[in-house]
Order: sequence, then structure tokens, then C-alpha cells
Amino acid sequence: MAGRGGVAVAVGGDGTCPGGGAAMRMAIAQYYARPSPIHRLDPRCKVVAVTALVVGLFLRSSFAALAVYGLAAAAGLLLSGVPLGWVARGLRPVVWLLVLTFVVQLVFAPGPAFYSLGPLHLSMRGLAIAGYLSLRLVVLVVASLLLTLTTPPIALTDALAWLSRPLRRLRVPTEELALMVTIALRFIPTLMQEIDTIMKAQRARGASFSRGGPLRRARALVPVLVPLFVLSFRRADELALAMEARCYLPGAPRTRLHPLQAHRRDAVVLVAVAALVVLAELI
Amino acid sequence: MRRRGAAVTELEPEGARPLSVCCEGVSFRYDEGATTIAALRGVDLTFAPGASVALLGPTGSGKSTLLQLLRGLLVPDEGRVLLDGLAAGEGDVEERRRRMGLVFQMPEMQLFAATCRDDVAFGPRQLGWSDGAVDEAATSALAAVGLPADRFGARHPYSLSGGEQRRLALAGVLAMRPGLLLLDEPFVSLDPASRRDLEAILRDLRTGGMGLVLATHDVDRAYALCESRVVLDEGVVVDAGPWRFGAGGEDVLLAHRLKPPFVVELWRRLGRGAAEAPPQLTAAAEALA
Repeated sequence: MAGRGGVAVAVGGDGTCPGGGAAMRMAIAQYYARPSPIHRLDPRCKVVAVTALVVGLFLRSSFAALAVYGLAAAAGLLLSGVPLGWVARGLRPVVWLLVLTFVVQLVFAPGPAFYSLGPLHLSMRGLAIAGYLSLRLVVLVVASLLLTLTTPPIALTDALAWLSRPLRRLRVPTEELALMVTIALRFIPTLMQEIDTIMKAQRARGASFSRGGPLRRARALVPVLVPLFVLSFRRADELALAMEARCYLPGAPRTRLHPLQAHRRDAVVLVAVAALVVLAELI
Repeated sequence: MRRRGAAVTELEPEGARPLSVCCEGVSFRYDEGATTIAALRGVDLTFAPGASVALLGPTGSGKSTLLQLLRGLLVPDEGRVLLDGLAAGEGDVEERRRRMGLVFQMPEMQLFAATCRDDVAFGPRQLGWSDGAVDEAATSALAAVGLPADRFGARHPYSLSGGEQRRLALAGVLAMRPGLLLLDEPFVSLDPASRRDLEAILRDLRTGGMGLVLATHDVDRAYALCESRVVLDEGVVVDAGPWRFGAGGEDVLLAHRLKPPFVVELWRRLGRGAAEAPPQLTAAAEALA
């Protein structure tokens, strides 16, 4: 699991898989492989820490608290050494939400206007609220990016499986769910590759995927989806057989090649995050 | 498909006309996020109308990429692909592109319709041919691959055997009346009988004047079906031209993780000269007997 920006590695743990179209890869390419103190943290610790930060962020509405959490996220980013470009790319999907939040709050917040344009009144209070909400959204997204950018998806599912273990008492099959997620992640690049090939093949047979209205376009996907489903079911069958042949038993206690192991640094991080949350609540 | 509007012009298929394809300094790179992989570098090749050419090269040498570039599914990063002397965007180049049928590797994975006939008719329908023409094209394509429409037309594609599915996918391409057939590893993962069937079909198409570009690892079938060959390695054309007999023979293939065709090697070991090069295995057997 090494290699800079090893996307296929990160998503699938399968270095040989070349992945699908570039655009598709972008959307999945979230893990940025690199040695850093943040990357080395136990994924469970990271999940808990980020969850605590996000919950804290919503518990108290003040610029001071926001500053505390913002600085914490920035420090984490700095330590992780993930290039800012990757963070910016992660923020791109929420840009419109940010703009919308800002504009709506700015225009509709009550308070004495400092600038009026026809029916629109902009107030200092509105500016403050708009700025606060937008910044909070940015900090929220950056904190979650810090988790996904520094944790391979499979480590993330492992962590979530471990953290949801108490649910086993309620007979929730957490291990099996985690395995399903892991397998699904593993096959995303494979599926992308197959979609790419099948679409090319059908285009060579005269199919067009960009002509006509939505209904026509949806119908144009039938020649892609049918073979894709057939292949996927066939592969699922084979994978199930292969797993059985290698003695996989649902629900049986499983050992891991890389057992999750908490270190002192994880405890330090958790204590520091707890202290931050308390600090943000008090100021 | 032009089904809407008052002025419905239903196109009729033209007969398969051969076309010439020319690569001029074609380079292509796959963008893999942080790294780029040069799949083809400076490829200059000419495929004459009606010629049959084998593309030989080890895995990853750029054969599939070249086929997709020829068909216009990929656009070269440098250089250009000319069809009958026309570059992309010039004249009726799109129509000429349509006359190239590309059979993908494992093409049976593109079958999707509920019946064999519908699947084969998909291409002609996309071209906007009249119902009669679509029907006729599907029937003759099914016949050409040995799956007669009266027996196979109504069957579900997934009820066919692997070899039959491969031939059905070929029929789907043939129904569009190509003048040049591009085939990507057509023999791979078929049993010997199915390979023989497919080879016979391709030979019949050759006899009918169809041009072939055959990317394959099966050098013996490449030799049987193609007059000349192009050797690719790591995205570069290492050698191109007719099969070589005489001194050295096809040693270039050995040097690039391939092997010479059996007949070529046999001829060489028997000390026969280049002058009496055998056209095929059967002819070699006759000559020896």
C-alpha cells in the first residue's frame, strides 16, 4: 500500500487494475498515500477524533470555537502533508452549497442594513451569520477530508467495523457488512474499467450516449447496463465460490493480516481533541 | 436513428467498400493520475484497401490501443489517422469510420438484447437503416457466422455456447457492412474447434474481399489469414511488411517475446528457400508429400 497518489492501490488494494475513466477516478481518488504522523494514526482514533470535532463544531456557535476547530483542522492538514490541491478538489463539490449558503444568509438575515439595493438589504449581522455558516461548512468538510485523505478506504471500513462491534449484541452482522463494503470498494475500479470497455464497444456499433433527451439517453444505457450486470453477477458467483473454497464462513471469528493496533500517540491525539472540544465549549 | 419529423430519410446500407487507413506519427498516452503510460510512440503505418495485416506484439505492446485509434474511439495525442486520405473532421470521414468494424477482445461481453436477431440488428438500427434493410443485414450476418437466423434468431444470446456467443458478437459487427474488420484477440479463450470455426469464417470474409487487421498472439492463425504483419513492442513498430522467410526468418518475433509461425519455422529447418514460401499449412503438407 505504498506509492504516491496510488489511486488503484488505495481503492482496491489491487495494483494491477488500471481503473476507469479519468473523471470517474477523480471522484473516488480520495486517499493520498504518504508517510505522515496523521497517516500513521490508528484509523479508529481518526474516526473518533474527527467525529468529536464535527459534533463539537455544531454544539457551540461562536467565532472563537470556530477558530479553535479551524486551527485544529489546519494543523492536522499541515502535519499530514497532503497537498492543498487535493483538499481544494475535495471542496469543489460543496462550492455551490457554500455560495448559496453565503448569499441566502446575507440577503435574508434581519438587522439594520448598511447597504440597500432595491428590495435587498445587507446587514452587518447578515454578513456575520453568512460568514460564520460558510466557514463552518469549510471546516466541517476539511475535517472529514482529513480523515478520508489520510486513511485507505479498507482501513476505514475496518475501523468502522470495530467501532460498531457493540451492535453485534443486537445481532447486527457488522463484520459481514464491513466485508461487503470492502469488496464493493475493491471492485469499483474494475467496474469502471468494464463500463469503459463496454461503452466503447457499443459506440463502435453505432450507439450514442449523448444524443437526445433524458429518456433516450437512459434507454441508450441498456446495452451497457445489461452486460455489466451479467458480468457482475457472474463475478459475484465466482468470488463467493472462491471464498468458500478458501473456507470463508460468515459470522466466524476472523483474524487480520494487519490487526488494528492503538499506540500511545493515538491516546495523545484523543486527549488533545477532547481538550480542544472542552476549550471551544468554554470560550 | 432518424425516426422523428416529417421528412424521414431512411438510409439504405451500401455495399461493403474497402478503405485505406494510414497512421502518421501517431502517439497515444494513457493518463493514470500521477503517471502517464505511453501506449504508442510515433507509429507510421499504412493499411491498403482490402489488405489483411496481423498485429503481433507481446501483452501491453499497444495492439488494442492501435485498433481503437484506427476506429476513432481514441484520439491520438500526436499525429493523425487518415481514412482514404481524410483526417478527422474532413469530408465524410465519419461515414468512412463507420465502415470499419471493430471486434473487441471478448466481444461476447457486449451482448445485451433478448434475442440473437435483436442483438445483431442493433448496429444497423443505430445507423438508421429501413426495417427491411436491418432485417436483411441481420439475416445475412447471422448466416455468415454459421448461426442461421431460422435456428438461432429467436434464441437468447446467453443460451449460446462460448464459441457461438463470440460468433454472434462478430455478426453484430458484420451486420453494419464493414469494409475493414479490426479484430482484437478474436481466438482467445476459445476451444480448438471454435477457433477453427472462427478461422474459417474469417477466411471466407477474406475471400469476399474484406480487409482485416488482426491483433493476436496466435501467430499460426495470423500467418494463415494475413499476408503481412506488423510487430509492435512497447508502443513502437519494430518491423512491418510481408512475412520473412529465408535467412533469419521470423527471428524478430523471438526477439520480442513472440514465436515464429510453425510453418515458417518448419520451412526454414527443412532448408527451403524464401522463393518457395508456403502460403499455408495445408499447402506446406502438400508440398512435402
